[in-house]
Order: sequence, then structure tokens, then C-alpha cells
Amino acid sequence: MDLEFLKESIVIGLAEHAPLVLAAIGFALLYRLTGLINVAYSETVTLGAYFGMWLNTTFSLNFYTVLVPAGLLAGLVSVGTYFAIFRPAKRRNVGALELIIMSFGLSIFLRHGLQFVFGYPVRFYDVPPPTSIKVLGVGVSSFRLLAVASVAALALALYWFIQRSSFGLQIRALASDEDLARASGIRPLVVTVLIWFIAGVAGGMAGAFYGVGSNVAPLLGWRQFLLILLVVLVGGAKNLGGVIIAGVGTGIALTAMTLQLGQVLYGDLILITAFIIILKVRGRRMAETGKV
Amino acid sequence: MNLDWLDAFLISGLFDIAMVTGLALLLHLQLGLARIANFGVVGFWGLGMYTYGVLYIQVDWTIADPWRFLICAAAGTIVAGLAGLLVGWLIADLDDDGVLVGTLGFATAVFILATTEQDLTGGAIGMGGLRFPFDVGSTKANESLWLLILVLLVAAILFYVARVHRSPYGRLLVALGDNEPLARSLGKATFRVKLGQFALGSAGMGLLGVMFGVMERFLETSNLGINLTLAAIVGLVVGGTARVWGPLVGVLFTVGLFDIVIQSYLPLPRSWYNQAIPVLREMAFGAALIIVLLYRPFGILGDMRRDKLMRRIHGD
Repeated sequence: MDLEFLKESIVIGLAEHAPLVLAAIGFALLYRLTGLINVAYSETVTLGAYFGMWLNTTFSLNFYTVLVPAGLLAGLVSVGTYFAIFRPAKRRNVGALELIIMSFGLSIFLRHGLQFVFGYPVRFYDVPPPTSIKVLGVGVSSFRLLAVASVAALALALYWFIQRSSFGLQIRALASDEDLARASGIRPLVVTVLIWFIAGVAGGMAGAFYGVGSNVAPLLGWRQFLLILLVVLVGGAKNLGGVIIAGVGTGIALTAMTLQLGQVLYGDLILITAFIIILKVRGRRMAETGKV
Repeated sequence: MNLDWLDAFLISGLFDIAMVTGLALLLHLQLGLARIANFGVVGFWGLGMYTYGVLYIQVDWTIADPWRFLICAAAGTIVAGLAGLLVGWLIADLDDDGVLVGTLGFATAVFILATTEQDLTGGAIGMGGLRFPFDVGSTKANESLWLLILVLLVAAILFYVARVHRSPYGRLLVALGDNEPLARSLGKATFRVKLGQFALGSAGMGLLGVMFGVMERFLETSNLGINLTLAAIVGLVVGGTARVWGPLVGVLFTVGLFDIVIQSYLPLPRSWYNQAIPVLREMAFGAALIIVLLYRPFGILGDMRRDKLMRRIHGD
């Protein structure tokens, strides 16, 4: 294989698709704990982009200042949806399929509702033009490079938090066996709210990165949702490491195919097909997902 | 017959209602009875529409309508059915997550191919040149007749769905949706049944796509968004996933309410119709899904009625 092509695929793939890894980690956390395919997670991503754009353009703040507040606001919306919809649904013993349909309804509601708040036109971040920096001989914008570093740091922090901290242990315990976790003194509500919040923050920050890289539109998160879902299902929600590897691999593969085929949609098509075949070959999903 | 009351807007609104009802009826068998969460309705519908359109326009036909139309329409239906067979095979033994991914992925794949294969489909610009397979005079007369044909087709689908409900096959679909491992342990060929149902439903969706393509006479990739799948799911859920008439009642209460009553008869400012009303429509549909599933999970018509035989046995 051409070394130049390989370098370009890796560098551009990491730079372009770093937010995918972050979004997939957030989605995987939620999926692992709740067993729920939350379609409305795509709007958490979208809202993160909108919140960041609003803070950036309204208060003239630079992108890295608005990144954390945008994530926090998206996290609060995520928790809000849990209390408003998914917690009552759990109490009413709504089935798994119905929950997916409800989350689909929520996704549609938020996607269109945000247009009444932020307006109909496509919006943009007000950021200075980035400078180009050479990485392994491949030109990457300074801005994208910072995005990769930020996503890597955030992903590692989340990974450490879930796999190493005492709260992370509680989350994993709750996902494995809610009754046993409760008997061990873990407060399910606190942990559940925390996980919805963290997932929302991760999704919101990913959205802000997506938004600043191109534009902010209602379909921003939805356009990424299938890839996020596939990365999580193929990477395996059991171990965040698998999700990170699948996310990074997906980004590089997408870029390689785009460079080779000259059309980004062909890359999407091949990846979607490949991932669905992997799911078919692997069979049913892993058993370890909670029901909170 | 005096058809002055039937203006172009009303024909279009009624056509949408009939078409979404047809899709929701087919979805009723998949999602309502067998509990296969097909989120790729628009994919099968779009595949039928584009297969028909591409064959009709791009092939150098030596025969005229209606045979040209019938061959292309049959091809659209068969291709959608074969796609249903393939997707069904991929997802039949996966759980809800896998089904969601598989069907959504398929719809995305159809959108991508319709966009990228510009030489065949016209891509994002679209493809014109389609026409009705008959000419009975004015455009309005042709559209009215086409609407009537669609209504007859949807009535046939309704008849088929009602027959399935009362048949052993329908009870097998319900059993499969309730507890697939149990149905399998009792010797039922669950995989084959799901596959057959998925392929047949997909073929029907493809045929409805063909009908739409003819009515529009112009194929656009913007039609391949999630909105159509949403409308079919909302209609089904609001009306009642377990009842034969649920899709019709649900679609009348949702698509009918917005596309005809609100758009035609409410005195709203004209400026609202461009953006506010369509956005509000989708918001209302999303909210309806949440509210109905939370507070009235079986929709307006409620839970399934047992058929006469079962009621007699149980003395109901």
C-alpha cells in the first residue's frame, strides 16, 4: 500500500472523525447502563452544536471557552429527557421496542423544536480562519488538530472515570445487576442521572466539534447517528476501549475510502454494509446491558 | 360528475393520506403484529419508486403505456420485495437494536445510491419525464383517476390485512411478536415467517413508491428523508398498533389533520405555511409518539379484539 495514502488516511481520518469517537463513548455509556437505543441522542449532539454556536456568537467567546458550557447544557437537556420521558416510561413498564419508538419521537420533536428557538437558517460559528500545520507531511488545520487533542483527552478522562473511579465502578455495577447494586448501597437514581449527564456532555461536546468544523443545522446529529450506533454496536458497549478502537478505525477507513473512491457517500455505504454484515455474523447483541 | 370541490391541493393531501395509510397498514403487520421494528419504510418505498422511474426513463422502450408502466411498476415492486428479502435475512435473527440498524442502514443506502448515481437517477437535481399511464383529459382528471386507483389499492391492502388478522398465519405473527423463542420451540418456522412477511411488506411499500412517483412525475432525493417513515409509524401508533383499522384512524388523525384540515381550513397567516407549519407538524408527530406510548400504548382504538372463534371459546 502506498505510504503516502496510508499517512493521509490516518491523519485526516483522525482529524475529521475525532468527534465520532467522543459521541460514540457517550452513547455507549448510556446504552450499557440502560440497554436503550436512544435515538434522541442524535439531538443531544445537535443541541451541543447549537449551544456552542449560540454562546460563541452571542457573547463573542472563542470556541474553546464555549466548548465546556455547551457540553454541560447538552448534559442538562439529556438529564431533563430522562426525568420527563424515560423515567416515567420505566415506571410504566414500557417495552424495549416502544422505548426505541419513543426516543425516535423525542428525536423528531427536539430536532424540529430547536428551530423555533435558534431559527430556521443554517448557522455558523464565528471563529478565525485556522492555520495549516504539517503532521507526518500531511497538512491539517490547527483547529482540527486541537480538536483531536481535546477529544483524545476527553475520551481518556471518560475512560478513566468509568473504568477506574469509584463512581465508574458504581455505574458498571448498576449496569450488571441493579438489585445487587442497590443491596450494596449504590443509589441507582444518582448514578443513573450521572450517566445521562455524562453521556449528554460527551454528545454535546462532539456536536460542538462537528458544528465548528462545518455548520450548525437541525440534521447535524441525525446525519451522524447511524455511524455512532454502528460504532457502538460493533465496538461493543461492554468495554469502552472497543468503542474507541471502532470509532478510530471507522474514521480512518472512511477517509481512506473517500480518498480512494472520490466520493464520501460511497465510503458511508461500504461501511454501513460491512457493519451490518458484522452484526449479522456475530448474531444477537451481548447480554450485558442494564435495564435502568 | 362535478369535481369542482376537488382542487389540486386536496388531491395531493388525499393522495398523501391514502399512501401513508397503505404504508402504515403494511407496517402494522411487521411492527404491530410481528414486532419487527422497520425504521426503513422510506428505503423500500424509495427503491420501488426509483426502480420504476429509472426503468421508465432510461430504457429505450419499444412498447407504449400502459404496458411500459406495468412492466416498470412490476419491476419496482419486485426489486423492493427482493431487497426486503435480503434485509429481512440480515435482521431476522437480530434483536430490536440490530433491526433498527439494519433497516435504518438500508434506507440510508438507498438515499446514498439515489444521490450518487446521477447518470441514472438525476441525483440531487432530480429526474423528470414520468407520466400517467393513461390520458383521460386534463391534469386534474388524470390525477383524480390516479388517486382513485391508489384508494382501491389501499383498500385491497386493508382487505388483505383484515384477512391476515383472522387467519392462523396472523395468529402466528402475533405469537412470534409476543414470544419468538416459544413459537420456535413449538415447531414454528419463525425465521421463514418473518422473512416472508418482511419481503411481502417491502414489496407493497415499493408499489406505493411507484404510485407516488407516477403522481409526482418527478423523482427527488429529498423525498427519501425520515419524514415518511415517521408519518407511517405515527399513524400506526396513534391509531393502534394492534388493530386492523388503527392505521387508517391514526393517519386521519395525524396526516389528515395537518395536511388537510390545518393547511386548508384554519385561518393561519400565510407566512406560517413555508416553515412554521411543517416544523410544527413534525414536532406534533414526535410528541404524539411519546404521549400515546406513555399514556395509551394501544392507541385510539385500544388493544386487539380476539376473533370470533376465541371469543366463543372463552365465552366473551
